[in-house]
Amino acid sequence: MIFSELREIQRQFGYLPAEELRTLAKKIDVPLYRLHGVASSYPHFRLTPPPRVDVRICQDMSCHLRGAAELRSAVEGAAGQIAQQDVRISGTSCLGRCDQSPAVAVNDQICSGLTAGHLTVMIGNLLADVPPPMPVESRHRVPCALDPYQTDEPYQAIRNFVQSRDAKGALEILKASGLRGLGGAGFPTESKWQMVRQAPAPTKFIVCNADESEPGTIKDRFILSNLPHLVIEGMILAGLLTGAQKGILYIRHEYEEQEKILHEEVRRCRKLHLLGTSVLGSDFTFELEIFVSPGGYICGEETALLEAIEGRRAEPRNKPPFPVIEGLWNMPTVINNVETFANVPAILLRGVDWYKAQGLGGAAGLKFIGVSGDVMRPGVYEVPMGTPVSELIFKYGGGIPNGKKLKGFAPSGPSSGYLPASMADVRLDFKSLADAGSMLGSGALVVCAEDRCMLDMALNSTQFFRNESCGKCVPCRVGSQKLVAMLTGWTHGKGSAADLALLDELADALRLTSICGLGQVVPAPIASVLKHFREEVDSHLLHSHCAAGVCPSGKSGATPRIDARVQLRHA
Amino acid sequence: MSAGLMIDLTVDGQKVSVPAGTSVFDAARLNNIEIPTLCHQQNEKPIGVCRVCVVDVGARVFTASCVRPAEQGMVVSTNSEKVKQARKTLVELLMTDHVSPCARQRQSGDCELEALAKQDNLARSRFAPQATRRGVDDSSMSIGVDFDACILCDRCIRGCDEIRENFVLGRMGKGETTRIAFDNNLPMGESSCVSCGECMVSCPTGALTNKVINQTAIAAPGSEPVSFQELNELPFFEGVSGTFLSLNRNAVVRRRFKRGDVICREGESRSPAPSPT
Repeated sequence: MIFSELREIQRQFGYLPAEELRTLAKKIDVPLYRLHGVASSYPHFRLTPPPRVDVRICQDMSCHLRGAAELRSAVEGAAGQIAQQDVRISGTSCLGRCDQSPAVAVNDQICSGLTAGHLTVMIGNLLADVPPPMPVESRHRVPCALDPYQTDEPYQAIRNFVQSRDAKGALEILKASGLRGLGGAGFPTESKWQMVRQAPAPTKFIVCNADESEPGTIKDRFILSNLPHLVIEGMILAGLLTGAQKGILYIRHEYEEQEKILHEEVRRCRKLHLLGTSVLGSDFTFELEIFVSPGGYICGEETALLEAIEGRRAEPRNKPPFPVIEGLWNMPTVINNVETFANVPAILLRGVDWYKAQGLGGAAGLKFIGVSGDVMRPGVYEVPMGTPVSELIFKYGGGIPNGKKLKGFAPSGPSSGYLPASMADVRLDFKSLADAGSMLGSGALVVCAEDRCMLDMALNSTQFFRNESCGKCVPCRVGSQKLVAMLTGWTHGKGSAADLALLDELADALRLTSICGLGQVVPAPIASVLKHFREEVDSHLLHSHCAAGVCPSGKSGATPRIDARVQLRHA
Repeated sequence: MSAGLMIDLTVDGQKVSVPAGTSVFDAARLNNIEIPTLCHQQNEKPIGVCRVCVVDVGARVFTASCVRPAEQGMVVSTNSEKVKQARKTLVELLMTDHVSPCARQRQSGDCELEALAKQDNLARSRFAPQATRRGVDDSSMSIGVDFDACILCDRCIRGCDEIRENFVLGRMGKGETTRIAFDNNLPMGESSCVSCGECMVSCPTGALTNKVINQTAIAAPGSEPVSFQELNELPFFEGVSGTFLSLNRNAVVRRRFKRGDVICREGESRSPAPSPT
């Protein structure tokens, strides 16, 4: 409720004036400090009036690889000549358009594929009150192998269940399929659902995590656009199988198009009596709400997401208790990723044998993988689980631009760390990537060409984690900042062997003592680069030399690069 | 869990038994095993944010003992080399941006962070300090605020919310820019703060300290004031927060009695005398 009130004020004033916050605090009887604490922690809310033109350029992984920094400095140069007071140009965290890098938000509208020239013209137009063209996302749906309906009437799995009422049987199928969470953690889906089913509580919840915000991760956007019916059907099935009567789909606010698609699908489900107090005339009840996130990568952490729904700062909870026991409003809660829910109808309708036959090399099922960075055809590809990375890069992704060779890749954004080209035959599945010392994560393959500096990539990934840390616990809040400072020093040719020992200590503290996964993976990018690209790091540390010529230390006479952090909105 | 149920666990090789619902921190404490902490104190709800009280329970990662309930058969290590090293790194991280000695350390010599750093023989941090300082807020008449000494333990916030129910203080911002703030980031002196002092006496460092604004001792004929320094050194007050003593320094006076003097009378104002049995 707090968020909808804050949104309404921001819609009216363009920001949240102090006086309005004070009035709201009285009106809804919430301490002022709490409203301010919430508003100041989410990127969606502004506490000061916005400039006339607010340009935020994504600075993370895929966009970093595709010229975001160059775009930013070119536009800063051009804008500086137009009107300094009215235009603000800043870096921002991943906007979820890694297939259209570099992504830019102009007055909160996301634009992609812009050159510095385009962007400068757009800024000029906005200053002259000419509205920017509305981006049109194609509504054409891409047929997917995961969709059991293709041309048939969807929601058959729900119809079957309402007739058979065989929850035990359905859960047995899910168990036999071995379906695991596809958002990153890979927890067995059936056992999560079983725990909530068995929890003795009057109220239970189903939450769909559509907050994908890690650089490179774009597959949920694709699934929500093309298979919204499977996601919603999966959520309803979860409700019917666990006894939960309320579902909440938590979507990042940058996915406005997908939000519209989902609302349309929910309306359709209401008409078909798939949602409501009597699902298909049965005594089952299931309601579904779409909750738009006020922003931030940390909201993808499942307990931070719950805190956000409850109207608080998105700070992860200490675990245990896990959400299956004490989740939303302290009630047993199933939280699954978009893709996990989308898999359920297909598995229930087509069976375990079909599911297992979809994978390669012993893995089961299909996987949506976002491919971005240095590839000819960035995008989302639906492939058999167990497809080799090289196939995604060279066959689906069309190889590396300008005939360059592959240097390395991140199997799943910053948190998976980087692997070298020599490991490109690794299969994209849970076991193969864990064996390779990485992880399947959420399926966000980011590709680095031969002329990239891997220390620079590690620094960029660490900056992302620092910018997106919620600040709740000491290791992540302070440690991520110290790690960025250390790595920034290395890229400037300032570093020593003592740093390596200190890095080990810091990495252990981050991994072992952080409350949540974000803090625990902060050292992963640099640890992987030290493991697989050691000579590159040594070259910076010992000879102040960046072979790729990317880091300040590699450019003779270059002025030290200012650390491109997210501009602070509340200085 | 039913009341009265006992949980058996092992802490540092010692078999202990505690009532169900007891935290690992308390299970250790009740058995004379001290786990260091910065964000936890017994009169506030534990939140597990400083991570200094982490222990190894054999899981993938360590757990904050203040928020972790003891479990049957749990094997806890509070002082393995790995645990001690991680704890030391956390203290070193906090010391990097902590102005040392902070106001508390200067005033009463008992900043809890600096005490931990001393225990760990941390002379100076090896990490690079933050380029920008977070500054001070001198607007309150009675309480000095130094954001650079703040370690975001939220003890003041819980003191304000849970103990006093004044609801003035909270966290603002996110990540490395997180700070404590009064109302909607007003200077403390202009906020709705009523200067109860609970935040200040809850603070483990010199982020919130007592300003000496009134030197008048409670005047009673024949009494002498006791200096704060003297008070702070009295063994009787050992373990009492220096900030708390400083706040209450004038409540203690010295009086000398001769044989036969009446110390207090029953029923006399401000003289609680033992009731006759």
